[in-house]
Amino acid sequence: MSVNHSGWTVKFLAVIRYELLWNLRKKKFLGMLIVAFALATLSLALNHIAYALGGPPVELNPDFVINSNAGLSGFVFVLFAIVTTMNIISAEFESGTIVPLLAKPVSRTTIFLGKLFAAFLTLLATYAFLMIYMTVGGFVVFGPQNNLHLVPLFLVGALFSTLIWIAIVLFFGTLFRSSLIAAFGALGIWIGTTIIGSIIGILAGQGWIFTYIPGSGNQGFANGSPSPLGPIGTAVSTGTDSIGSNLINYILHPSWEITYYKINIAGTTPDQVQWVRLYSEPFSNVILTSIAVALVYFIVFVAISWYVFRRAQITE
Amino acid sequence: MNRVDLKTFFFPGQKATGAFNKEFKVDPRVNTEELVSLEFVIKTVDLTKKYGDLVAVDRLNLEVEADTVHGFLGPNGAGKTTTLKMLVGLLRPDGGSISVLGQELGWDKPDVRSRIGYMPELPKLPKHLKGRELLDIYGRMYGMSKDAREKQVPRLLDMVGLKKRENDLIGEYSKGMQQRLGIAQALLNEPRLVILDEPSLGLDPVGMVEIREIMKEIAKEGVTVFLSSHLLHEVEQVCTHVTIINKGVAVASDTLEQVSTKVRGPSILEVEVDKLTETVIKKVKELPFVADVSKDGKKLLVEVKTRDDVRSSVSQVIAAGGGVVMSMNLKGESLEDVFMDLLGKNKKKVEAAK
Repeated sequence: MSVNHSGWTVKFLAVIRYELLWNLRKKKFLGMLIVAFALATLSLALNHIAYALGGPPVELNPDFVINSNAGLSGFVFVLFAIVTTMNIISAEFESGTIVPLLAKPVSRTTIFLGKLFAAFLTLLATYAFLMIYMTVGGFVVFGPQNNLHLVPLFLVGALFSTLIWIAIVLFFGTLFRSSLIAAFGALGIWIGTTIIGSIIGILAGQGWIFTYIPGSGNQGFANGSPSPLGPIGTAVSTGTDSIGSNLINYILHPSWEITYYKINIAGTTPDQVQWVRLYSEPFSNVILTSIAVALVYFIVFVAISWYVFRRAQITE
Repeated sequence: MNRVDLKTFFFPGQKATGAFNKEFKVDPRVNTEELVSLEFVIKTVDLTKKYGDLVAVDRLNLEVEADTVHGFLGPNGAGKTTTLKMLVGLLRPDGGSISVLGQELGWDKPDVRSRIGYMPELPKLPKHLKGRELLDIYGRMYGMSKDAREKQVPRLLDMVGLKKRENDLIGEYSKGMQQRLGIAQALLNEPRLVILDEPSLGLDPVGMVEIREIMKEIAKEGVTVFLSSHLLHEVEQVCTHVTIINKGVAVASDTLEQVSTKVRGPSILEVEVDKLTETVIKKVKELPFVADVSKDGKKLLVEVKTRDDVRSSVSQVIAAGGGVVMSMNLKGESLEDVFMDLLGKNKKKVEAAK
């Protein structure tokens, strides 16, 4: 029998194959495509539904695709991260299939990387499908579209945004060897940061903290100016969930200055609410910070997960 | 300030080199000549594993000779599975050392495993894969070429009787079929050593017989088999050597015959002979497996050194000497008695001793 012991790539690809077959057979990939399809369709049909319910007529919108974020939002990133990653390590422990797998002459690092890469491929395929569908759909529903060359940038951004959550799901799954804890751990962090972030950001004026936490981040306004009814300008989320849309906006509006505000509530009536300008920063700062935050979180959580997995003993 | 060796920190099982460099990579190529001359395929020295305060394996010194079928016998909770998991790198020992196929076993050292086949207790195989797919993927993980996989996978599926179900999902397999597939995946890489953890566990009698037949087939192919079991008759039927473990401590280890003999003394074949003459006694004494012969009236007490069934040989010799065998009875303890003696659980003996 010819055995090629040095074929790290062969073993790595075998792990990917093993994992992708799981994704296909467990209908995980199909489920993700269905969710993506539903989201995109909803996004495309929303104006028509509104019109049918008595809203304004649907007009041609050449910026629909580029402004739609392909129907993706922070929650969808978390959802896709949970679906792709919640059981790549923990389910192996839960079902006991980790035992024959780890008894093979493949290092744990290779198994870990192979599984992570398979999750990434599943995600990439889903997002690619979503972008293509959204682009074609946008063209059909809203007419010829502008700046379609920037759509791949959104794909990159969406992957970045999801990778953080993948790392967090992986962290919980590896540490606790439980798919449920993996899913709810990540979801809990997302809900916590999103809700608490909004409250702290607007009321206490300390929203900058959330620039450094995964999720929607701080809320600023491009070229904003205060008014009694709130800041005037384009709202910009600085968090890791918005890397894709921010990248596109940066290409289109590189000179944007993002301004942050807080609310002073002096009484109970709307005219007693004051929006106070806090500080401004260049848009490029916002993007670079969110990418750096995404990378740091991804690397830290993946590194911890890898270390835990590598040292894990199989006692069951 | 002490210098932290990154390699030791991240790869605790590896020997420190003083730098995080490529040297930690073990040369995976195997010196086959070395393997051929290897006396012990498994050797542990003072192997210890603790779970909190519980000592699961206590300074175990295990030697498994090459080309043997070595049974690892012990009651549930004796430390068998823990030992086996340490041998394949699923558990980290708290003390002692392990050498498998002449290589010291370190943590996450996958190259050693390329020459080991392992079937865990009640193997849990990924149910979303088909039988043939699983073997193919595992074959890739062993680094087998496409040609090798295409030859080996159908051969093994045929051997374990799963050829007709190779394209069914493992989730649709019965427990016995999954057990057989577990054996097939352990043999995929044509291993030098096969480690089987309770291969008959949970099977019905037919399944147990099938698994034993497969184990005998493996042994015939010249593979060293290390087999854990709590089933005495299984070990008796399949193994040439046995180590008995209790509460993490090896209480006996040798050939099956020696372990039995050491504890219970030689077996006595009690033969009632008509026309019992000195010639008959002399002829029986000359048999190679006979340790001693004594006469008790019409009965001949033959002390035998082997565990093989020698009744026909003794009968033939007696007939050749002019005697007539009226009855024959092998007296001695079964391996079960030996086992219970070693574990200190032979109540009859304990009561008799009182």
